[in-house]
Amino acid sequence: MRRITLSLDRDALVVMLILGITALLAIASSTLSARPGHGTVAGAALDAAGDAVRMGGTTEQRPSPRLATTSEGGLILRPVSSGAVATDVPATRLGTDIVANVSGQTARVTVTQAFRNTSEQWMEATYLYPLPDDGAVDTLKMVVGDRIFDGKIKPREEAREIYEEAKANGQKAGLVEQHRPNVFRNSIANVGPGETVLVQIEFQAPIAQVAGDYSLRMPLVVGPRYIAGSANANGTLSRASLLAGSADLIAPTADPNMVARAGGGLNPVSITVNLDPGFAPEAISSPYHAVSVRGSGSTRTVTLADGAVPANRDFELRWSASGDAPMLGLFKQRHGELEYVMATITPPALERVGEAPPREMIFVIDNSGSMAGESMPAARRSLLYALETLRPQDRFNVIRFDDTMTELFASAVQASDSNIAAAKTFTHNLMANGGTEMLPALRAALRDRAPDERVRQVIFLTDGALSNEADMMEEINRNRKDSRVFMVGIGSAPNTYLMRRMAEAGRGTFTHVGMGEEAEDQMQRLLDRLSLPVATGLTANVEGGNIDFAPRDLPDLYAGEPLVLLGRTRHLEGTLTVSGMIEGVRWTRSIDLKDASDSDVVAKLWASRRIAEVEAERWSGETSHERADTSIEELGMAFHLVTSRTSLVAVDDTPSRPDGASLTREELPLLLPAGWDFDHLFGGRVANAADWQRLADAMGEEERQRLELPNTSTGYLLTLALGLLLFLAGSLGGLWWRERLADGLASRSLRQAAV
Amino acid sequence: MRALPFLVVAALLVSGAALVAKALYIPVKAEVAQVLLERAFERGVASGAPVKPWSWADTAPVARVSVPRLGASEIVLSGGSGEAMAFGPTALLDDAARGITVLAAHRDTHFEFVADVEAGDLVRFERIDGGAVTYRITHLETVRWDEFAYPTHADNGILALTTCWPFGTHTPGPLRRVAWAEEVDLRV
Repeated sequence: MRRITLSLDRDALVVMLILGITALLAIASSTLSARPGHGTVAGAALDAAGDAVRMGGTTEQRPSPRLATTSEGGLILRPVSSGAVATDVPATRLGTDIVANVSGQTARVTVTQAFRNTSEQWMEATYLYPLPDDGAVDTLKMVVGDRIFDGKIKPREEAREIYEEAKANGQKAGLVEQHRPNVFRNSIANVGPGETVLVQIEFQAPIAQVAGDYSLRMPLVVGPRYIAGSANANGTLSRASLLAGSADLIAPTADPNMVARAGGGLNPVSITVNLDPGFAPEAISSPYHAVSVRGSGSTRTVTLADGAVPANRDFELRWSASGDAPMLGLFKQRHGELEYVMATITPPALERVGEAPPREMIFVIDNSGSMAGESMPAARRSLLYALETLRPQDRFNVIRFDDTMTELFASAVQASDSNIAAAKTFTHNLMANGGTEMLPALRAALRDRAPDERVRQVIFLTDGALSNEADMMEEINRNRKDSRVFMVGIGSAPNTYLMRRMAEAGRGTFTHVGMGEEAEDQMQRLLDRLSLPVATGLTANVEGGNIDFAPRDLPDLYAGEPLVLLGRTRHLEGTLTVSGMIEGVRWTRSIDLKDASDSDVVAKLWASRRIAEVEAERWSGETSHERADTSIEELGMAFHLVTSRTSLVAVDDTPSRPDGASLTREELPLLLPAGWDFDHLFGGRVANAADWQRLADAMGEEERQRLELPNTSTGYLLTLALGLLLFLAGSLGGLWWRERLADGLASRSLRQAAV
Repeated sequence: MRALPFLVVAALLVSGAALVAKALYIPVKAEVAQVLLERAFERGVASGAPVKPWSWADTAPVARVSVPRLGASEIVLSGGSGEAMAFGPTALLDDAARGITVLAAHRDTHFEFVADVEAGDLVRFERIDGGAVTYRITHLETVRWDEFAYPTHADNGILALTTCWPFGTHTPGPLRRVAWAEEVDLRV
């Protein structure tokens, strides 16, 4: 009994000693940290560890203060987003029906938009909507009652004139224009009171394929975009010209209260996918919508389980091949004088022998206002997961941006425990706010301060809600050097066009991580693929023939990715040989072009790919703007495709609006993408936009003077808490000691009594 | 053996009490100083020249900054030294010619209210010489302490309230919160 008491006493003593020492240390550190001024912080305990590393702990500090954010000038403030807020239920109501027929490696999609005029006026309505960025729109039909009017492809301005003329004449007219490769606008004129007009478009899109997994992604809403500031290198653009350049992306966002008032929901969409991949599809799933799947064998019909859904997030359908995925696909089509061919070749997936070589990973995370809501946590989780996977021999850095930016370290640092802890603290503290100025962050990420043999990977986590896409491509094309750029699309409706093209220009890949639970999972897949060997230096040659391939400059392939070659030739013959290097080993694959099977989509896919390539040449400065515009217009006209230079227009030949009846123009509001925070984006800030703008302009154009800010935290609450804790420990100790004293006295008097 | 626990307990109680006193001294000093500064400021406005709040002070009140919506009002001291900042916000920069004023104060005492400032809030800045300017908060910005920059010239006066960020934490970090405000003309 006594022995036990004694040992307990000792334990208690040890605990108290430890408490005491901790307290003394805490006093020392809090005294130091409570001292104002921006000096170094001596190893403050607790969660200050991360900060300490940044403030003075290591030699990896930025060598001299820089004007990273502000010297970029321009609009440092958020012009909120592209459009205003619609608080009234629109007079023209829209319903959309999408039918996608997946056949082999391509999908033919029909999008039908029904414009119903619920008002007493004659209406003109326009609707801004997204399509897959690699889709090729080739058909427009306008349906009025039982009459169908086919759309014709025309150069952009001419199509606009035809439409405006018909509109003025009182004729019904429909117009499809492309504003970005993934953003289109339908306009429909002279819809009579109570009348419904259908606008139907059709497009062709390739099916995405990675390591036996296939997916069809159908975006349903264009998220509000940030109008970026002085993105151009010359930096002389005025606000007005910036807005003019992005005006085509501006659409009102529906106020959630209005959506609640609009009976039957605003912009409902129904989706049907007829799946015929050429093999029995397995593991059919739709991560963002509930679906029902019917059918057997190699065909399935997938419909939305709940009927119509609001158009507020991307629809995605995934499936995989049972057993071995076909490693090869070869299709041909004759179009006009020429023959077109599509070849899909997957290089063998090599297992890595031994450990992957040391890498330098630069993580760039978007914490702009559009990420507020569910996107920011997903981005944070993805980044935290990625930080966990770094090895001590790797180097890394973290850059965050909104309309300002911060580089965590001056340059990439060793992935030591303390540096990773600092990065985690930094990541945890990220809040979504402000505009989306990605260019400064991209520049910083591409700047390689210590070039060596390492593989350099730049990983962007963003929703891409910006409007100056071309500037990003230009920057990557110009300054990429040996870095590879990987895009991780966050949220319910990321800007896939930006993602895909940035990744393409940066010789990397692009992945969606979506939201919530999905984030870590998808991030893990991406990081796994990044650590596997890459097929580089790919070339494609045809023996006994001559083929004009798109892309001309073949990409690098990451594990499981297929090479999709689109080409055209006078006469399809010979042997196609693709070769490349995987981990220093040459890999070659030959196919006889005679084996190609017929397909009726190859020519359009070739044209669409070629257009994307012309755009890339435009950004990299290989082609002048004029020449790029000319070739895009030629391609659009020749293949009947909607492009940046060509539009589809359909006109009813008989006027329907009576003379004297006026026409009301209405821009249909878009739903806010799911998971976005409406109040954060628009709450109370819209009214003040003009004020910020004026100040932003003034500040942007002015020269700025740097000023170091002092440390302005006394941290007295922490000191107070520690003091109270010590006092409490002392009091408890005192109580214990008094009891022990009493015990001792009692036992002594007992012993005395016994004696 | 009996003396050791007594010593430990005594040490704990004394150091705990000392720490509590030291910690409480900071907000108490900050509050009391503001009362004294307020008086000194009033006298200063009356006499038209800065008046030392207490005889040994090495700083003097130069202005009063207030945000009516939040009921916040603080006396601003000259110079940006750490000592002065214990008593009130200090003017890191106050260049009347170029119309730019940059204030700094602790996030857990005088500039606690910056956490609640919103775009559109009015900020009143009364100088000791009697001149008063009203600013409106235009936007908030978070920057590293070494990345802050102000415009060298602005058509309208600019006021920046700077303090440590994030709020609610108690250890020093490299980030600073800046509330930018632009002069507004309320005479209309």
